[in-house]
Amino acid sequence: MGLTADERWDLVDAIAQRTVAFGISRQTTGDVLGELTVKPLTGIPTALAVLYAFWSIFGSFAGALVTDGFMIKLFDGYWLPWMQAAWPDPGSVHYFLFVGDPAAETCFEAFGMLTSGLFVSFGVVLPAIFVFYLMMTLLEDSGYLPRLAVLMDTLLHKIGLHGYAIVPAILGLGCNVPAVTATRTLETKKQRFIMMTLLALFIPCGAQLGIMLQVVPDTVGWVLLYLLIGFVVFGYVLSRVIPGSNPEILIDVPPYRWPQRANVAKKLWNKTRGFLTNAVPFVMLGILIVNILYLTGFIGWLADLAAPLFVTWFGVPKETVGPLLAAFLRKDLAVAQLATIPMTSYQMITAVVLISIYFPCVATFAMMVREGPRQLLAAIGVLAAVVLIYGGLIHAVGILLGVA
Amino acid sequence: MEAPCRGAELVTAAVGLAAVACGAANILVWAGPYDGIEIGIMAIGGPDFFRWVWGSLVVVFGGVMMLAGARQMHAVPGYGKVLLGVAMIGIIGGTDIFALICENIPAGEGAQFFNSATGFIGAFAPPYPPAVVLLPFALVIGCALYAGRADDGC
Repeated sequence: MGLTADERWDLVDAIAQRTVAFGISRQTTGDVLGELTVKPLTGIPTALAVLYAFWSIFGSFAGALVTDGFMIKLFDGYWLPWMQAAWPDPGSVHYFLFVGDPAAETCFEAFGMLTSGLFVSFGVVLPAIFVFYLMMTLLEDSGYLPRLAVLMDTLLHKIGLHGYAIVPAILGLGCNVPAVTATRTLETKKQRFIMMTLLALFIPCGAQLGIMLQVVPDTVGWVLLYLLIGFVVFGYVLSRVIPGSNPEILIDVPPYRWPQRANVAKKLWNKTRGFLTNAVPFVMLGILIVNILYLTGFIGWLADLAAPLFVTWFGVPKETVGPLLAAFLRKDLAVAQLATIPMTSYQMITAVVLISIYFPCVATFAMMVREGPRQLLAAIGVLAAVVLIYGGLIHAVGILLGVA
Repeated sequence: MEAPCRGAELVTAAVGLAAVACGAANILVWAGPYDGIEIGIMAIGGPDFFRWVWGSLVVVFGGVMMLAGARQMHAVPGYGKVLLGVAMIGIIGGTDIFALICENIPAGEGAQFFNSATGFIGAFAPPYPPAVVLLPFALVIGCALYAGRADDGC
């Protein structure tokens, strides 16, 4: 091939003439809004508005409409009385395991596998997960999520991460299992470790949020505030302590588009099906195992053993040991159990924060095992240290404020 | 682009100013000793941090954006700001209405599942949060602006 420079340029011109369309480029509405939503001055207020809409729709649909409006009536008014009447031998072990407390008036109190288990899975968590993933898919498909990543980049760099770490962080608010998988998009081992640890510690899943809105609605704001402070403070500490790099990345920001109905429906179905097949068996199994542990007296023994730590160091009643054990199986169940323990408002806030940060649920734990045993062990070490330090600090704040 | 119209700019600025005032009043009333104040069809402030502080902060920002863009709303930067401001007020007003709908489809305490038609419609009686009162004005401005720009082939 012996093309001269002139011939090469002629070739370039010929290709350009056939492939490039010339005209006047004008900004569309999408372009204008796209620019404004990545500039901090206009983008941060927009992010506040979008997140407000996200949580408002989540609470209105999952909380007020489906769970409060219909599911509680259905389960407490029809399903629970029918189970209590139809299941034979109320004094038996199988009654305790499957139906729960024969005197219970609500499915939260009953704590049987077929009463509380089904109510939590289908009455509380399913609507929460459904609307969460719907909103998430709309944000993703419209092109807003990459803009949020650009906006959050500077802040997240302070805790050793970059803008795209916002994706696992928000996903974690739905379910920590896909969120742990999403940490693979982060560049370095250091970033993946920090994000995975912060996810396990400070990001409550949709199921847990749904239950919190249901049983402790007055304390949810404070719990989330404590978790947010913990996320930033411990993220900052981890980014300073853990060796490794935190490289800059280029984020591809697509134009705004209307989400396609077929795509949204497909994603929503896949994610909801994932919940039904992966999480529901854990909820049912979790209740069964916790009930067995109660029956064998193991939880009572453990509560006595850990009582000094819980009462003195964390400032919560010793009965919270049971829910904390259950939290390993399902954190949502654990919060539901807390609601039945008499304690002050501040103790409730501390106990719910402890449940959030104490250990990842078993499904998340399994995902973390897959990411590597060394990372998992290190994460568990950090988790234990953070629970002790942060739990004690929250108690100390309560003492200083005179509410603990 | 259409020729600048002072009337449209003034209306946009007025709605923006009203949004800033109402949003700020909501936050101040929430922080103060009162549970809430009713002015005509509008309810100012309430006990809920989420709605009355976070939501109102967004309304204030929406109003500021409309004010910032009002003077140049027929040029690209101003147009974008006004549209974003309208969207922010729309988000808060829209989610407030959505919350009302969700809360009032089911019946309250009792054996019935669905609310009666009169009960459902009755829930939409005034007073309304400021974002709901501002919503029609904001939407008219947003639609007019969007239609004007679409006519321009943008």
